Amino acid sequence: MKQRFRAIVGITIAFAFLTSATLVYGGKFNSTINIGMQAPVFTNLPATDGKSYSMSDFKEDVLVLVFLADHCPWVKGGEPDLIKLAADYKGKSVRFVGIAINLREEDTLPAMKVRVQQAGYNFLYVHDASQEIGRKYGATHTPEYFVLDKNRRIIYTGLLTNSPALLEGRAPRYTNGPPSQFYVRDAVDAATAGKMPAVTETRPQGCTLEYTSR
Amino acid sequence: MWRGGRTGASILCSILVTALCSLSCGSRAIDLRPVTFQQWQRELASLKGKIVVVDLWATWCVPCIERFPHMVQLYNQYKDRGVTFVSLSVDDREDKQALETARQFLRKQNATFPNYLMNENISQSFEKLDIEGVPDVFVYDPAGRRRYALNGNDPNRQFTEKDVDDAVARLVAER
Repeated sequence: MKQRFRAIVGITIAFAFLTSATLVYGGKFNSTINIGMQAPVFTNLPATDGKSYSMSDFKEDVLVLVFLADHCPWVKGGEPDLIKLAADYKGKSVRFVGIAINLREEDTLPAMKVRVQQAGYNFLYVHDASQEIGRKYGATHTPEYFVLDKNRRIIYTGLLTNSPALLEGRAPRYTNGPPSQFYVRDAVDAATAGKMPAVTETRPQGCTLEYTSR
Repeated sequence: MWRGGRTGASILCSILVTALCSLSCGSRAIDLRPVTFQQWQRELASLKGKIVVVDLWATWCVPCIERFPHMVQLYNQYKDRGVTFVSLSVDDREDKQALETARQFLRKQNATFPNYLMNENISQSFEKLDIEGVPDVFVYDPAGRRRYALNGNDPNRQFTEKDVDDAVARLVAER
């Protein structure tokens, strides 16, 4: 009897813990995904290098997906820090992939190829004309980041840092002072260490991705 | 003779100014009014009793620029029917060039309704207004309740111009 009582108490505590964990990691700003869930996959998306890629092609331990749109001043403003981040993890088991889904001419493959050259992108950049991958991730703004761990669970979504940069004119300007919290870097390091990052979700901020209405 | 000429010239001048003013003074009065979030809330509160449509926009936002004429058109359609329109820019308050671009754009659009600028850093503006990006359109009922927060935060339910039309029409019909 006592044992049964203990088992019930144990199950209740475990259930309460799981429920609270789900609440903590709930998609506060994302209408579609939750932190901890298995990441949606993509197949055969054309890249600016002329090849096509599927998510299963990437064998690295950590995968960083970032939704981009070349026309967007927030994307341009954040490029230097994104490029630096990708460079910092060169030679490590971390892969960065840029994803575009807008259908405006300035955001599609021919323009993307030019942008890769001009800005010196050091990561893969694919386009999804069906926009399905954006819908599956609930991505609605650019730049919007998703960090996936070794098991391809989503462990972080949102901003690169706590001060997104905007480029209107000559030099990018941080909109919230010098960045002091590096969410994506922390999430990548946490994933590498097999842990969850301290911050799992932040409010995306930037240009709105434009989906065709259904 | 000289004196008469001067009087004539000054009359001519004032006629010219009046004529020019009737063409452009209205649009020249269109400006951006900076407001902190707190001041913005006070402005909104002062509009209680009316249906209020708030267009959140920025010069860096391509869809905002594309949709703005629709907002002006709606304003002209409803301005005499108890509906107040205002725009609220989330442009970078420190970027003088962007602000000048915004002013010129508003004048070109003949946006004769009140045009505000968030006088906060942009990240703070997003947090305080509880938005993730623009365009967004908020519609308030006469009781001051926000009845519609139209945004692009769900890939499968991003708002359209028709959603704005419908929201305004519904609140007008309620009265």
